[in-house]
Amino acid sequence: MFTISDRSTYEPMLDIFIFETVKQLEQLEQLVICTEKSNCYTENAINEIFRIMHTIKGSAAMMLFDNISMLAHTIEDLFYFLREEKPRDIDCAALSDLVLEGVDFIKVEVDKIKNGHKADGNAADLSKKIRSFLSILKEHGGSPASSDVNKQLQDVKQKYYISQDKTAAAAGKNAFRALLHFEEGCGMEHIRAYSVVHNLRNVSTELNYIPENVIASDESVEVIRKEGFTIYIKTDLTYGEINELLQHTVFLKELALTQMDDPEPVNEIPQKKHIMLEDDGVEAPKLQKEEATVSSGLQQSLISVNVNKLDRLMDLVGEMVIAEAMVTQNPDLKGLELHNFQKAARQLKKITSELQDMVMSVRMIPISATFHKMHRIVRDMCRKLNKEVQLELIGEETEVDKNIIEHISDPLMHLIRNSIDHGIEAAEDRKLKGKPQSGTITLTAQNAGSDVVITVRDDGKGLNREKILQRAKEHGLIHKPEEEMSDKEVYSLIFLPGFSTKDNISEFSGRGVGMDVVVKNIETVGGSVSVDSTAGAGATITMKIPLTLAIIDGMNIKVGSAMYTIPTIAIKESFRAEKKNIIIDPDGNEMIMVRGQCYPVLRLHERFRVKTDVTDIPKGIIVMVENREDYICMYADELVGEQQVVVKTLPSYIRNMRRIRGLAGCTLLGDGRISLILDIAGLVEK
Amino acid sequence: MKEVLIVDDAAFMRASIRIMLEKNGFKVVGEAENGLKGVEKYKELRPEIVTMDITMPEMDGIEALKAIKEFDPMAKVVMLTAMGQEPMVMDAVMSGAKSFIVKPFKEEVVVQTLKKVLVQQ
Repeated sequence: MFTISDRSTYEPMLDIFIFETVKQLEQLEQLVICTEKSNCYTENAINEIFRIMHTIKGSAAMMLFDNISMLAHTIEDLFYFLREEKPRDIDCAALSDLVLEGVDFIKVEVDKIKNGHKADGNAADLSKKIRSFLSILKEHGGSPASSDVNKQLQDVKQKYYISQDKTAAAAGKNAFRALLHFEEGCGMEHIRAYSVVHNLRNVSTELNYIPENVIASDESVEVIRKEGFTIYIKTDLTYGEINELLQHTVFLKELALTQMDDPEPVNEIPQKKHIMLEDDGVEAPKLQKEEATVSSGLQQSLISVNVNKLDRLMDLVGEMVIAEAMVTQNPDLKGLELHNFQKAARQLKKITSELQDMVMSVRMIPISATFHKMHRIVRDMCRKLNKEVQLELIGEETEVDKNIIEHISDPLMHLIRNSIDHGIEAAEDRKLKGKPQSGTITLTAQNAGSDVVITVRDDGKGLNREKILQRAKEHGLIHKPEEEMSDKEVYSLIFLPGFSTKDNISEFSGRGVGMDVVVKNIETVGGSVSVDSTAGAGATITMKIPLTLAIIDGMNIKVGSAMYTIPTIAIKESFRAEKKNIIIDPDGNEMIMVRGQCYPVLRLHERFRVKTDVTDIPKGIIVMVENREDYICMYADELVGEQQVVVKTLPSYIRNMRRIRGLAGCTLLGDGRISLILDIAGLVEK
Repeated sequence: MKEVLIVDDAAFMRASIRIMLEKNGFKVVGEAENGLKGVEKYKELRPEIVTMDITMPEMDGIEALKAIKEFDPMAKVVMLTAMGQEPMVMDAVMSGAKSFIVKPFKEEVVVQTLKKVLVQQ
């Protein structure tokens, strides 16, 4: 069955489906994890999970993702039972496992869908597990439970029927027999039939129908489908009026309405039953509510926007910043006195910078969602490794550019796995050391200038200097005498590719990748990673990440006819060097002496093979830059000036040809020239 | 054009119904993501017909239906339901829902149901 066959309809629907399902799965996961902490499922949580699964079931069925829909249905059934029967003594841990397993399955499927693959996972085993969990609950559950629809229908039915005395009062003038057939596939025919009866009750004095147990059993659905639904009615209305009333029945395929001459035959209907409907609506099966979870007032003022549109907007604003510079710093204007123009230009500048701030703020999202995902990691790790760890979150409201957030989730996960696996000791060991039995990992986010600093701190055993040195030696990663290395330098060795202290790579933190991958990930978004540790008291990993990638403060420098931009944040100082401070080491490398410290010199014109007349060190300018406490002195012709630059990636035809080390991208300057943005990390690396 | 209010907690469902209806000449005048807001919107917009989900947070579709019916006994509300919700559908019908649509649904089903209900007195 194709529910939505039209492609133009299908695609936007798919986007919404993915977006909403992912959001709901996250919400669900949080709910389960919170629940685990409090160690029982509150009524509220059960309701919420039921509702989410119900929604996913419906949406997935519409999109024909039957495996998702089926699994969601199974979980929905389980929570329906929990909601209605409130069994005691549930195995919460097992329940959480099942739900999370379900969440994982759906997540994987949604991912497949997102990437254009077929959602072909098979959830039959999991569904079976959930169903058997449910049946065990039903057997052992406190109340004699049955979530069976039929039973409830019977309850409903009993409430609806009242004694026949009430009907005796008046007798209608006309009697009719109506045979109704519904259209195929309209669903719940018995209730449709019943609603016809319901609508007739006000105009009839006597009412009977076949099958008479219409709402009580599912069999009636089949009967109505095959044989139709027959109503006998006594009423004051005329044939035309009744016909009109019945014709309006939704999904009516056929109606055969016949007037019966003798008002009596109504009584001869086999197994006749007098039925009248109670006037007041029956109490609805109550959906329990505790306190309301969602604040309703806020949401209405929010809309969701496609990220692509925001990216485009950001691009446009970037272009505008450049265009503004092109206009106001236009070479044609040089030397002219233009008071009014300057005034207008200032106004323009003010507005563009405000606009830029605004666009940036739109792209900022709090880091809390990423942080909260870590609860799940901690939970899974703890269960598998049998450790106790609390996750503490500080500063989760800190906002970071959306693109950057996507890049920190994986590194964070990796760091947390590492901390639990290698850092936090087993509970007994902790007790012996006089530490609290359960370890703590603290995730902190805070703003620092144009950066956001994220730290992962654990109170485990800390890094072991000796072990790290030994391992580094084995892998030939040490280029310096050991005694000269500070603790921090030693700890930083763990970031080097090919370093891993654990002999048996464990299932979690191992995964064949080391800390170097974390560093790489963070560096791709222009950030840096550092580590600190106190033996016996734990380790802290600090990630410094720029708030946004799109616009940076840069210092423009000139080398020959080429322009380069250095991110201002990396610059320590710039100065003119004197000849006497230049040293040549035995390998022929140029070094420069600054306040008694020696730094290597990097001649940019040599590095990028640019022709320039300025090759004598004292004639040019030295810019000292830092990356992760490595310093290097870059030599350029002259400083041009500082400005905000819009970072553009290098065009793909260049990137595809070869990866150019030392370049982070390019930007357009106010005069229309292109400037290459230097990748300091890439240049400093030896 | 016939004016419709869509009440459903799932953005996906709201969008589905909206697309289906707009293709067929209906005018979706409003959406609400729970019963409470659905009732508010009904009072504010006075649409000719409402599609109402049953399972929703804050206030479920049955309660919302009752509230709307109390405010306007002539209100035309079509319930959205799924297999397994028969008791609630019954309750909705008893409370004055004009018809109901079973999920997953096809475009024709939604359109036909609404058109049929709209001509009812």
